[in-house]
Amino acid sequence: MSETLITLERVSKVYQVGEENFTALNGVSLEVGKGAFMSFVGPSGSGKTTLLNLIGGLDRPTSGSVLFQGANLENMSREQLAAYRRDNIGFIFQTYNLLPVYSVYENVLFPLILNGLKESQVRERVENMVVKVGLKDQINKKPAQLSGGQCQRVAIARALVKDPLLILADEPTANLDSENSYQVLELMRELNHEYKAAVIFSTHDEKVTRYIRREVRLEDGKVSWDKHRNGSEIET
Amino acid sequence: MNWNIANKNFYRQGLRAFLNVLVTALSIIALIFMLSLLNGFQAQATRNLVLTDVGGGHYRAPGFDILTPTEWEDITMPVPDVLGNLLAKDKAEVLVQQGQLYPNRRLFPVQLRGIAMDQSLLSLPLAGLKSFEDKPGETIPAVVGVKMARKAHLKKGDTVVLKWRDKGGAVDARDILIVDVGDIINPRIDDGVVWLRLDHLRSMTDRDGEVSWVAVREYLGPVQGFEFHGIEILMSDLLALLRQDRINSKILWGILMVLVCTSVFNTQILNIFKRQKEIGTLMALGMEPKRIVSIFTLEGVLGALWALVLAVVLGVPFFIWFHGVGFDVTHLSEASFPIRETIYPDYQPREILVSVSIVLALSIASAWVPVRKVTRLDPTLALRGRAIT
Repeated sequence: MSETLITLERVSKVYQVGEENFTALNGVSLEVGKGAFMSFVGPSGSGKTTLLNLIGGLDRPTSGSVLFQGANLENMSREQLAAYRRDNIGFIFQTYNLLPVYSVYENVLFPLILNGLKESQVRERVENMVVKVGLKDQINKKPAQLSGGQCQRVAIARALVKDPLLILADEPTANLDSENSYQVLELMRELNHEYKAAVIFSTHDEKVTRYIRREVRLEDGKVSWDKHRNGSEIET
Repeated sequence: MNWNIANKNFYRQGLRAFLNVLVTALSIIALIFMLSLLNGFQAQATRNLVLTDVGGGHYRAPGFDILTPTEWEDITMPVPDVLGNLLAKDKAEVLVQQGQLYPNRRLFPVQLRGIAMDQSLLSLPLAGLKSFEDKPGETIPAVVGVKMARKAHLKKGDTVVLKWRDKGGAVDARDILIVDVGDIINPRIDDGVVWLRLDHLRSMTDRDGEVSWVAVREYLGPVQGFEFHGIEILMSDLLALLRQDRINSKILWGILMVLVCTSVFNTQILNIFKRQKEIGTLMALGMEPKRIVSIFTLEGVLGALWALVLAVVLGVPFFIWFHGVGFDVTHLSEASFPIRETIYPDYQPREILVSVSIVLALSIASAWVPVRKVTRLDPTLALRGRAIT
């Protein structure tokens, strides 16, 4: 296995729903290497999104540890977690979550500005990224003027432009038709290959599973199996 | 960047943002209008009181109190030289006595005010008395104000019996001729007052050279045998009334502020509620919650600044126009205010600056208070639009 990027050690997450507790994750342990192209699959409520949120530092585990390159996210303050996301993580959401007041160019530029870079320094980089996701002609359009597939391409460009170590894609094809889904997945595979950023999908879309190199299946908050495309399979 | 995002978000709000700006702008205009009109009202009321009665203060016979008419007759004094030698433009000698009119067989207690005819310190419509001899004849010429005339059913040319007592206590009575019904702005020298020539009243009451007070243009220092009543004392009732007006205006001001703050607060609450996903996305992209709070607060600042611009655009032409036409308050003739004319607003730059600053500060605070909760939002719930329900 390549160098470890993420390590999950007996991670549990319990939510309080009314007066009852709901266990979203129950003692999940796994490792994700740099440049991985993998997915968490499983039915609704199996804990896929919760796992992505914990890895992305958007949430904290009830017990267990999430380590990013050996650093425990548990020990980070809110500000440090924000910096961790800003520097290392690119998010792609099911509903795109683009900033509606910004153009395609500005949406892609945004993470770089957040990282303290000046527009003049990164203009070319942003334009190249927009071209790479096939939206050269839409660069000045607002999200409301784009199709779902185009919006998701903008989201991919936004996630990749800052050259993150990890991209977390939560059901990225759920709102797309088949053709757009394949285009987006193909694009992400190419970009994973080119940029070497690890990509973790959370999905129950079978189309995604054709592209990924590793599939971790979750059921009732536990890893039921962890399958690598190279043939190795760990059943738990 | 914060400013850029706030700016774009602000314009995205469209009509909601405009209505907020409009409410704040109208409140600023209403506030300035209210304060300036009150300033104008106060300035004119005090000026009218000074011009018609108070002057720069009164040198009064000790113990004279306008509210105790039974004692007026006994509290008179000869005019000392230091006051008597003043020019007619710098003093007005006044003798006040009690009397009773008998219009239409009714008894009507009145205050008889005798005033020197050559004085020009006070502005009173008494020209009708000037042409008479310094000794009263069979009928005594008198002027009454509009209010007094209406109450006593008197009109120009009427004669009516007047009864009074002289210095020795002897009661005398004679007809008086109403030579004029004067338009007296100040109701406290109109209602229940009969204006006579000073020389006539002195002659009628056998108080040659005596006065109740001498109104002067300015304080001349202590005068032997007289006590000085300054403007603050003589206008204390009006000043108290105006102070109360200030308090009332503050209540109105407070209500306006509550409206502005509620409007801004409500918009911000709605903003956060509607834009939870956007907030969650900003958090996911690595923006610190404090920075998100700044962006939303900046939107409030933008609203306040635009409100200021709109207030200038709408307010300045209105204020200029209003300063020309004024506010007709002739209906106040029945009230006790010494004002019965058109009021013109008195714009005080410092007061406007302070008021506008307070409006802006409060509206910015109202924009900030509801967005503070962003720092406590759970980003995973915000991303799903469920952090605030």
